[in-house]
Amino acid sequence: MRIVIVEDHALLREGIVALLRENGHEVVAQAEDGDGLLRIVAAHRPDLAIVDVRLPPTFTDEGLRAAIEARSRTPELAVLVLSQYVEPVYTAELLASGGGGIGYLLKERVGDVGGFLDSVARVAGGGTALDREVVAELMRDRSATGSAALDSLTPREREVLGLMAEGRTNAAIADALVVTGGAVEKHVTNIFSKLDLPASGGDHRRVLAVLAFLRAAE
Amino acid sequence: MADRTDDDAAAARAVAAGRAAAARAMLVAESVTASSPRERRIVGILGTLAGFLSVLMPIMWLVTGLGEFWPVWVWFGFACAFGPYWIWQRVRAVPASQGGYRLYVAQAGLSIYVAVIVLVVWLLSGLGSFWPAWPLAAIAFLQLLHFLIGEHHLVGPDAALTERVDELTRSRSGALDVQAAELRRIERDLHDGAQARLVALTMQLGRAEQRLGDDVDPATRALITGAQEEARLAIAELRDLARGIAPPVLADRGLAAAVEALAKRSPLEVEVASQIALRPAPVVESAAYFVIAEALTNAAKHSPGASVRVTLVGTDDRLQLVVADDGIGGADPHGGGLTGLAQRAQALDGTLTVVSPVGHGTTITAELPCGS
Repeated sequence: MRIVIVEDHALLREGIVALLRENGHEVVAQAEDGDGLLRIVAAHRPDLAIVDVRLPPTFTDEGLRAAIEARSRTPELAVLVLSQYVEPVYTAELLASGGGGIGYLLKERVGDVGGFLDSVARVAGGGTALDREVVAELMRDRSATGSAALDSLTPREREVLGLMAEGRTNAAIADALVVTGGAVEKHVTNIFSKLDLPASGGDHRRVLAVLAFLRAAE
Repeated sequence: MADRTDDDAAAARAVAAGRAAAARAMLVAESVTASSPRERRIVGILGTLAGFLSVLMPIMWLVTGLGEFWPVWVWFGFACAFGPYWIWQRVRAVPASQGGYRLYVAQAGLSIYVAVIVLVVWLLSGLGSFWPAWPLAAIAFLQLLHFLIGEHHLVGPDAALTERVDELTRSRSGALDVQAAELRRIERDLHDGAQARLVALTMQLGRAEQRLGDDVDPATRALITGAQEEARLAIAELRDLARGIAPPVLADRGLAAAVEALAKRSPLEVEVASQIALRPAPVVESAAYFVIAEALTNAAKHSPGASVRVTLVGTDDRLQLVVADDGIGGADPHGGGLTGLAQRAQALDGTLTVVSPVGHGTTITAELPCGS
């Protein structure tokens, strides 16, 4: 896979590059600021851009803005945003932009190499990878607004819903919960009927339906 | 970065100047007593009467066949009567807080009054030897004495007090601005320093774990995953710490966006209207943010199901924020939470008022000065 990385912190950038290369990915370009992202995306047409939220010169949400700008110029661009904090507003803006795969992960998730590589593959394939902290925030917000449907889920079903919102497939959910694929499918069917969501084919559309439900509070 | 720092410094200076001006204005405004309408009416009637008589007397003098010009004594009498009022007017124009200067003005008025009377008496009594020289000298001596003493003991303390208030206002606002800047710097340092290193550490541990073969001692693998977990916990703690200093969205996007985010996360229906001309100094932004956050939390706790309206109005020199809900009301302004909010506002020379009649919702209004 051809990947570009935008991260101003050399130590982290080198760590991610090494990790990706060790696992057979090609890091075709690196940059340190938002303009750099737009430049290398235009020049290299990568399968995936990994972008830090805070970048020079403002050290605020420069990376996020650049990622959204890059997606508006190249709608099919897959972007995985790494951040040191969860900010629901930013996630919402990112999800609303472009059509390609999208991810928002806390930086320390890179340490879980297997999980991180899964997320990379999923986002590059047009899927979604939301940090579990982001999903937890969304679930909290949704239940704070008093959703009877959400309250009707069993604890296990809520767990499955959370994993679906993170963008995981049934097989990945089964692995995470140490249950069979059949059990996951049953939970998913229950969740969709309780939340009154259209039973859609395809993992990606399923994620979108779940996220739309969770973000209905906004 | 440099531009941002300069802007912050300029904003901080503007805030300091504004607060000092406000403190000075308070000192002056607090004690200038204006004359009441009733007093003005009485003085007006007496003045008119005196004027009328003053004109009437010379006519009577003319009619009664001239002779010695006695009306001058009538005029003199009126002048003597109105003199004390004139002195009182001058004296009370001086703020009560400048008591020493007030006393000085009173004596000066009295000196001029006595001097004029003595001189007029001398003039009207047909000149002669200049005996007023002695009383005039005595008056001048006393006035000089008062001036010399007052310079050091009477006027001095008040001028010093005013100066001290200015100085304390400056140093306090300076300290607050420095503190706010320091907190943001600490937050940046946490982000770029400790947090980034810990993230790098988890990456390296992850890569190390990946390199372990399948035949590795399970205890070794457990040690590595344990170390990773510890690093992750440390990162999470640092993140909470940084968020407590200033939520990222506040630093990145400013008050209006941060309040919008708060509104979205509140279980209540919150409507936000904001009109902020210029981004306030970080210290003002943080105070406003935490006041609103606390007010929304309180509303959600005590009046679930209420709807809330948050209004932010920022002009060049002040930021007004209003959080009004239609909940149960009856909040105690002296309760712990609200007192804390009031202190936050007072620390910036601002005010915070709580109106919360039982059954009619709660309205919290804060006014924060933020420039000159």
